[in-house]
Amino acid sequence: MKRREFVQNTFLVTGGLLIAGSTFAQNEKKKVPKLTILHTNDTHSNIDPFPSNHAKFPNMGGVSKRFELIQKIREEEEHVLVLDSGDIFQGTPYFNKFGGVLEMKLMTAMGYDAATMGNHDFDGGMDGFLKAQKFADFPFLCANYDFSNTILKDQTQSNLIIKKGKIKVGIFGIGLELNGLVPKDKYGETIYLDPIETANEQAAILKKKGCDLIICLSHLGFEYDSDKISDRVLAQKTKNIHLILGGHTHTFLEKPVEENNLDGQIVLINQVGWGGLQLGRLEFEFDNAIFAKKDVIIVK
Amino acid sequence: MIFRLVSIIFIGAGLWACSSVNTLIVHSDPVKMDNEHVSNVHIESMIMPYRDSLSLEMNEIIANSQTDFSVKRPNSNLGNWVADALFVNQTKAVRLSSPIICLLNTGGIRSTINKGQVTIGDMFKLMPFDNEIVWVELPVSVIPEIEEYLKKSGGEPISNCTLKNGKLVFNNWNENASTFWVITSDYLMNGGDKMAFFSKKINVNNTGVLMRDALITEARVQTVLQEDTTIRISF
Repeated sequence: MKRREFVQNTFLVTGGLLIAGSTFAQNEKKKVPKLTILHTNDTHSNIDPFPSNHAKFPNMGGVSKRFELIQKIREEEEHVLVLDSGDIFQGTPYFNKFGGVLEMKLMTAMGYDAATMGNHDFDGGMDGFLKAQKFADFPFLCANYDFSNTILKDQTQSNLIIKKGKIKVGIFGIGLELNGLVPKDKYGETIYLDPIETANEQAAILKKKGCDLIICLSHLGFEYDSDKISDRVLAQKTKNIHLILGGHTHTFLEKPVEENNLDGQIVLINQVGWGGLQLGRLEFEFDNAIFAKKDVIIVK
Repeated sequence: MIFRLVSIIFIGAGLWACSSVNTLIVHSDPVKMDNEHVSNVHIESMIMPYRDSLSLEMNEIIANSQTDFSVKRPNSNLGNWVADALFVNQTKAVRLSSPIICLLNTGGIRSTINKGQVTIGDMFKLMPFDNEIVWVELPVSVIPEIEEYLKKSGGEPISNCTLKNGKLVFNNWNENASTFWVITSDYLMNGGDKMAFFSKKINVNNTGVLMRDALITEARVQTVLQEDTTIRISF
């Protein structure tokens, strides 16, 4: 028995040395496992660039340019995720006339991995969403909308796990209260589940499944003057979430905002304005050389 | 010293084996989608048929603008223009006996109107929602609720009235009135943006007219968009 313990310990220590050795060597070559997360929110059917006489954003944005940029990044980076935090619909005549079909086709072409639903994604009613969604070959993640009694039953999912190299990424979606924001006939019998409770459940599930990085796609909004639920509040009142990619408030953040969660760990919140004016780009380097009891996030 | 180093490495290896704990170094580099970026032929060919079909309708010029119109709280030239245009559109053929105002929501105005030619497409961007104009009759007793709402929200587009020092002042007040009319959208009347006072409505007149269509009509009539920068809301 004692001998067995000794052997085991020796093995682990040796293993540790080997791993540490190789990790340090990797660091010198800057080859730690890396994940590139590209994200948008509130694109609002802005398919063409803004017009050249636009008061604030002349010639900016446009799906064609975003596609080209994403392709370029895919050539440079091995592990790329493309995500959207909702309000894909509504804002240009492309939506009024074609009901969101082109938006879905283009996001599919750009290789989006997942999106969540914003309040405006209900603007064509649930039947309108369903018609457009037929052209999307990525999932919509909606953990706190219970669609069981609606035509969207089984059309969305709560979460998604994607493996990128050695990195297991868990993603789930959180939407905002539709009552008072969206006419009742557009969301029908959708049941709204508490965002904090749901987020904690989802994050716990994803952690249990061994996800290295847990991302919440949120359409709650970045922050409010009142105590209304927002990404900041969600970050403070949950655990196991590393990153919240938000939307709804059209907030331009220069870099991710840090919040402390229930365990005192850092949660990052990011949002990139609206209209496809910016493409969010976050590079996560999973540096195994430094260890701590808790997950440590260092923003550079 | 050596023991310490070994135990650190040991813990490290153990945690690594569980693959549950990492140090994440995060670099953030949002990319501005400006003119530096080029377009893509494949995507352009996907968009083209949709764009062509839209542009026929959307590129029609309906007016000109000598200034940039944009919306903000509590007062803005665009908020004033939209509220006035809807008010004029709805009341020009009506002799007003009851007090009447137009009350909209800042959030419903989704774009700017830029200096230069104004097209149908601009109006779609400004007012993308297919909301209809409704007339709502309310008891005068809800006026304090409207004042409170405007104070709390920081201001919304209004026409034919002002909010002076937090008090609603009608342009056509009638001392004997026990009710008044509000021209607004079906979205707001049905509880949108939490304008709860609309639930106390006495009468509703559905016009069936899209707000956007009314704005297009008024832009055509004006030819050059009329700018009004008067302060309508003060607390």
